[in-house]
Amino acid sequence: MRLRIVKAYFIKEMIELIRTKMIMMPYLMPLLIVILFGYGIKMQVTGVRTLILDNDNSQISRKLILKFEHSKYFTTTVKNMSEKDALREMKKANIDAIIIIPSSFEKNSLKGVKTEIGVFIDASFPSRATTMSNYIQGVVMDLASDFHIDSSGVININTRNLFNQALRDEEMIVPGLIGMVLLISPAILTALIIAREKEEGTIFNFYSSSVSKLEFLVAKLSAIFFLVSIAIFVIFLVASYLFNLPFRGSFFLFWLASELYVFTALGFGLLVSILASSQIIAMIVTLMLTIIPAFMYSGMIMPISSMSGDAFITAHIYPVMYYNHIIYDTFLIGQGFKSATNISYLLILFTYGVVLFMLGLLFLKKEIK
Amino acid sequence: MKIFLTILLKELVSFFRSFGLVILVIYFFTAEVYVAANGMEIEAKNVAVGVVDKSAGGMSKKILSNLHSPEFQTPKFYKSQKELSDAIYNKDIMVGMIFDEQFEKNYYKNLNPTINILIDSTTASQSLMAIGYIQNILMKFNNLKLPVALKMHKLFNQNADTGLFMGVSELLSVITLLTTILTAIAFVKEKESGTWDIMLLMPVNPKIIILAKSLSQIIIIMLGVTISVGLILFQSLDVPINGNLLNFFILTFFYVATTAGIGLFIAAVSKNIMQISQLSIVIMMPIIFLSGAWTPIYAMHPLLQYISAITPLSYYIEGCESIFFRGTEFIDLLPYFGGVLILGVILYWYGFRKIGKLF
Repeated sequence: MRLRIVKAYFIKEMIELIRTKMIMMPYLMPLLIVILFGYGIKMQVTGVRTLILDNDNSQISRKLILKFEHSKYFTTTVKNMSEKDALREMKKANIDAIIIIPSSFEKNSLKGVKTEIGVFIDASFPSRATTMSNYIQGVVMDLASDFHIDSSGVININTRNLFNQALRDEEMIVPGLIGMVLLISPAILTALIIAREKEEGTIFNFYSSSVSKLEFLVAKLSAIFFLVSIAIFVIFLVASYLFNLPFRGSFFLFWLASELYVFTALGFGLLVSILASSQIIAMIVTLMLTIIPAFMYSGMIMPISSMSGDAFITAHIYPVMYYNHIIYDTFLIGQGFKSATNISYLLILFTYGVVLFMLGLLFLKKEIK
Repeated sequence: MKIFLTILLKELVSFFRSFGLVILVIYFFTAEVYVAANGMEIEAKNVAVGVVDKSAGGMSKKILSNLHSPEFQTPKFYKSQKELSDAIYNKDIMVGMIFDEQFEKNYYKNLNPTINILIDSTTASQSLMAIGYIQNILMKFNNLKLPVALKMHKLFNQNADTGLFMGVSELLSVITLLTTILTAIAFVKEKESGTWDIMLLMPVNPKIIILAKSLSQIIIIMLGVTISVGLILFQSLDVPINGNLLNFFILTFFYVATTAGIGLFIAAVSKNIMQISQLSIVIMMPIIFLSGAWTPIYAMHPLLQYISAITPLSYYIEGCESIFFRGTEFIDLLPYFGGVLILGVILYWYGFRKIGKLF
């Protein structure tokens, strides 16, 4: 490998990236994704638009309504309307839940006779529906336990939320997003700059020149690596200042893991670009290969420990899961280098990157097929 | 009219000749929708639980035997609290339960026994749901005589099956993405090969050319939608249709025309296919994620709510959900039709003007 040539090639790549405005890609796209998803995805359900039909209008029913009104999870309206009208409101997607208090509610509950409160939930958004029904159950149980005098023998549950005490959505989503953008943006960029040379025919300059395969790859990849390395810091700043994420682990681990991960992502893009003949195909294939694992098999939406069978294996095949483990650790958990899992995952990322790079080197042909 | 049909036919033929595009469209309308519907699982299922049991064991075993699939995995036992928290820190388990020595004694003495629960809340929604499940299980052991019962009805999707919802909303996102890209490609291909200027200089009204070209792409998308709805949504996913399917297709037609307008705009400002893909990502990403497919609009940041009011997809998704799941009547669907139509006319008109300009 001749450094002089690598340097010249590196400068040429940088100039090209600037001229084609692709230099925006490692900054604009990740920031767009992190900001949009970070603000946009709300797993926690708050402000459930609840309509209460109070047919009893008694002290207890009002107490129940008050409990709903005081909870931040509900935005309550109490109205007098027929059930049919209420259902129509729900069909118009104006309310999420209807709670119907029967007319003999107070009488029966004082007598100790079981009364049924009707709850109707719009389940067209299923995961939210489950959460809503849990909340409503909680509120009603809370009311019921107010009546229950004898609380001996009741099992207390003492819950501690580790790592994310306030259960903030941002703390849960944003680290996963970093894992997503640091995979997608380097992979696409790599796939594109090699596929573009193929499409425009400038790859023949490489075929016919004395530049070796290794020099070619090192120059191309290091240009992108350099750009994305800066992006790592930008994204880190966005995560900690815009989204107020805590940072409990070691920054060195975060940085090291990120660089290794970007290296792996470059390998991804490289392999795709070798197979793809045009930019558009390279782009689509990279997107398909990266978005799905970064979302579904990364532990961001669904924890790895609850996966089973195929999903569990798929998650372990993609590099995203290993990186995400480390990144959640550095942001929220904070074990750093003390944890053996972190170190082994770091090694896996490194091996992954090297293997992909070697494969790319092996399959890249310096001749016309 | 004859010219119009000729161009329409030419576009359709050239689409079906480009093998890659056909495969792409078929892939997105079938496999992509199917994978999204089956793969995404936001509900807490198969939760990994770890237990430290220092009590005599009878009562805790009874409680633990209630933790079973599909919600929970078989609990793993750890010797000490240290081991348990290490397992949580390494994310081997999500929920840790600790029964102390006094637990069983207190239970039989009616003394309020305590279970300590540790949760990995890096995936907050699942941890919350898991806690909800555990609370429900413990309720059984409390044998409280509550005077109140809840009769819970989940309307429109009784089992709260995430797959149905994900399938439909993925289809809508696919429609958005493909319409923009296909329309833009149809024009820019001609730009790239230099035939677009020739087309505009022909003694044919350029408006007819543009209309015919965009209509051809709309037809392709509508075909894809029909296949996807029939084959994937109804056949393999068993999505219910509580409303009128015709409403869905009319709304889809309007929406596709709207999105074609965005495609026209992208085609007008980009010179080659590469730029199309970059621009469509930059434009479509916000549209898709602000549409309410992931988070209902009213739960978003107030600023984002305003932005989502001007994206056509938000009306379209809400409308389609109403048609598929809520079974809303036509008269209540009018706001969605209105939203899509108004934005559609503006976007299409703008794209139309932009692309029709020579050089």
